[in-house]
Amino acid sequence: MRVTDLFDDYLNGQLSVDEVAQFENKLQEDALFSEAFNKHKVLIATLNKAEKRAAFKHKLKAIHANAFGNDSRIISIKEETTTKRYFKSFAFAASVAVIAVLSTIAVLSTGGYLLKKQSNQITDLMREIINLKVSNEVITENLAKGKHKAVYAPANLEGSAFALNNLGYIITSSHMVKGADSIFIQNNYLDRTLARVVLIDPKLDLAILKIINSEITQAWKVPFAIIETPTDIGEKVYTLGYPRKDMVYGEGSLSSLSGYSNDTSMYQISIPVNPGNSGGPLLNDQGNVIGVIRGKITGAEATGFAIKANEIVNSISTLAADSLKNDLFAFNKKQSLKNLKRTEQIKRINPYVFNVLVYKRD
Amino acid sequence: MSKSKVAFSDIELINGLRSGNNELISVLYKKYYTVVLKFIVNNSGSQEAAQDIYQETIIVLYENVQKPEFELNCQLQTYIYSVAKRLWLKHLKKNNKTFLLKEEEEDDLIDVSEEMDDYLNKEVEFEKMNRALTELGEPCTTLIKDFYVQKLSMDEIAEKFGYTNADNAKNQKYKCLQRLKKYFFEIVPIDNNNSERYESNRFI
Repeated sequence: MRVTDLFDDYLNGQLSVDEVAQFENKLQEDALFSEAFNKHKVLIATLNKAEKRAAFKHKLKAIHANAFGNDSRIISIKEETTTKRYFKSFAFAASVAVIAVLSTIAVLSTGGYLLKKQSNQITDLMREIINLKVSNEVITENLAKGKHKAVYAPANLEGSAFALNNLGYIITSSHMVKGADSIFIQNNYLDRTLARVVLIDPKLDLAILKIINSEITQAWKVPFAIIETPTDIGEKVYTLGYPRKDMVYGEGSLSSLSGYSNDTSMYQISIPVNPGNSGGPLLNDQGNVIGVIRGKITGAEATGFAIKANEIVNSISTLAADSLKNDLFAFNKKQSLKNLKRTEQIKRINPYVFNVLVYKRD
Repeated sequence: MSKSKVAFSDIELINGLRSGNNELISVLYKKYYTVVLKFIVNNSGSQEAAQDIYQETIIVLYENVQKPEFELNCQLQTYIYSVAKRLWLKHLKKNNKTFLLKEEEEDDLIDVSEEMDDYLNKEVEFEKMNRALTELGEPCTTLIKDFYVQKLSMDEIAEKFGYTNADNAKNQKYKCLQRLKKYFFEIVPIDNNNSERYESNRFI
């Protein structure tokens, strides 16, 4: 029996009288055992107390909101059903947009300050909503025309993602979805639809989402394969992503088998990547996925980093539960784009690369 | 809506807080908010800051009334005011803002340094735990909380997470816990200034 399991059984009163006596005897005699047990207790107690404090704080926030109203920091985006589009009141959309503009300005101004302060750091490439002004104009325009078109509040963050397999699983960066209230994905082939996080590996900066509405993914045929074997330096690579509303193509070559500060879980690529590219696929000449765009070095404009595909596979096998693992590992094995020209490859890949919209609560 | 107001005594409110009585907690919360709000706003704080400081204050009180040795030796309002003031001073100091507080109610303060130290030390530990849990990722975090906080059984966990049986769930829990242990005990506490910077970095 593993020692921690024994600790748990002891703490949960699942040992027999004899076993308890034996356990307590060992605590007396074996200093290492006793130390390990104390550490275990500290960890569990801290976890419980932290949870208790967090729960109480949550309660106070609710009381406050109830008694004194929500303050303007809280933007709550209700989950929308994916089949029906809501015709939200323009007033609501407009007001959310205004609040979002204000908070984004605040975020952007601190962000800019930090950018100056730190150099040569790896930069996450999610796209802050700089097109807010545009959204606002669109809202106003629609108001004027009296168009009955669904108007959505601008997302707090946007980035890229791509399909992992035909079951509706999608890969993106974990820094994108961290602390998300709700996550939507969309592209030219797919109307905005809700996705949920099924796996997060913050170390690798990897998140796997699932599209909630399974009808959408029924007809999916992901054309690319995931290539786990290492790729050679110098290979031509390209990426597709959403640094802005429309899909953008970027090409270059694989410049190093390690990433920022010799991180071997990443490739270095000579593709200029921009905010919003995070979470997009890194594709090889055959149109297969060899990695996920991670970020760039602040200041080095034509250099990007991508998480290696084999690291992603490793992460899934360590973190995912058995049943989820089976689903996630249902990759497409056929390299169906191999003999196509790049333009043709892109046409077929396009429907499986997405724009991710992340809404946060504060 | 009936407007009949029942006045609760300090003792009643504290007992309510201790036992987790939501109604009484709500009464207590509403009762002293304006006092703290006024103090913070008068001392160059925003309404948001007042809300945060006040909530921290109530948490300090909440955690202290759980202790068997807790005894209220002054009016509840004095206690809350003293804690809020200490927290606000601490906040100003941390942000290198030094200026004189308007000290008109000087004589209405009590010494709460012990409670404060206890609260702040724990805050450091909890912050460490939060960061360790973030490192841990999902599904481990939920699994660990389900077992150690929610006290779900291994069978329930196996069912919830889709493990084939309780033994597999137990194996997974073991692996998750080992990782959490590693992260938690290896993390060096950092002060909040840095943690804020760390967070904001991600918005570039």
